[in-house]
Amino acid sequence: MVPSSSRTGETGRLIPPDEGAHDGSQPSVESPDGNMAVDQLLLQSIEGASPPVLRFYRWNEPTLSLGYFQSLADRQLHSDSGPCAIVRRATGGGAILHHHEITYSVAVAAKNLAGPALDLYRQIHQVWIETLADFGVSARVYRELPESCPAESAATPESFLCFQRRTDEDLIISGYKILGSAQRKTRHGILQHGSLLLKSSRFAPQLPGIRELTGADIHAAALSKRFARRLAAAWSLRWQTEPLSVAERDDALAIAEQKFRADRWLRRR
Amino acid sequence: MARDETQLRYASSHEWADLQQEGDDTVATVGISAFAIEQLNDLVYMDLPEVGTAVTAGEEMGEVESVKAVSPLYSPVTGEVIEVHSELPDNLEKLNDDPYDFGWIVKIKVTDESGIDQLLDHPTYQKQCAESE
Repeated sequence: MVPSSSRTGETGRLIPPDEGAHDGSQPSVESPDGNMAVDQLLLQSIEGASPPVLRFYRWNEPTLSLGYFQSLADRQLHSDSGPCAIVRRATGGGAILHHHEITYSVAVAAKNLAGPALDLYRQIHQVWIETLADFGVSARVYRELPESCPAESAATPESFLCFQRRTDEDLIISGYKILGSAQRKTRHGILQHGSLLLKSSRFAPQLPGIRELTGADIHAAALSKRFARRLAAAWSLRWQTEPLSVAERDDALAIAEQKFRADRWLRRR
Repeated sequence: MARDETQLRYASSHEWADLQQEGDDTVATVGISAFAIEQLNDLVYMDLPEVGTAVTAGEEMGEVESVKAVSPLYSPVTGEVIEVHSELPDNLEKLNDDPYDFGWIVKIKVTDESGIDQLLDHPTYQKQCAESE
């Protein structure tokens, strides 16, 4: 699926967590609105058959992100995350509490896609399965679980929290979802981002993470590095690490202010 | 009478347009092709433009969500939205069975016909779909 075989051997861009400008002239973009703005920037920067981009990011405060079509009023359904910052994503699905997790995003040009966008979930989640296995953690995709497998009792398609919903490609450990991803598409490409739940947050105590489910205390940086290596192998490319530039950070901060921080965006539903 | 999909025009972004003359105006009834609905897989939300909205061929006019993916709907023609299928967003499951009749999304009064020639006929659109699979 991604990228097509004709792109084999190319160089993709790996964007590490943002530190802000070295001279201190720019803050990090890893605020709730800044993170969403960078992902939008990556999507709108796709041109032609531009090479894939993989980004890892952190959140400078525990944040609840709403799915694009979710109602802000539904936030009342989850009081545990009440003290947290909130942002609306441009991607679908349910709300996510970003705290003790790895957040990734991938931007892929439409011209490099050789199949339906759903395959991007499948391929990237398979790489996460293999990466977790490298750390002794066994996760499976939801569609492959036998019906007899115990499911978390709170999981329903309409749940407010993404991690209490299930779609075929979600990753599951012991009946609990530990990885979910969502997409935004344009005619030029796809932005897919997702969250891997490393451990439970006090702001979403009903969601166990990998540590609670397996006892594994995995270092996020080591896991990210291994994932990047495995994804490069799967896509037959190599990553060139290239942090956000000053210009990109400027653009992202402008998008953050004009769109993701704006009340009309948050309250659009 | 059921709409004949072989007589429709198609945008490469998978919207169909049924172009009819109504008095002095050309009116396009617009929907999403069966191929696109199958590819999108299980639509759960749809945002439609409001009546009176000016739309441009090839530009976004709405959005849909399926399997946690938000995708734009593009207008196949340039004009003004004169009617919106308001029952559709609450009955998206019917799109799979009836994309060309119940599945109409908006009616657009065409104000600039220059883009219509860019739309594909049915055989050409089918060829595009076959090549993308």
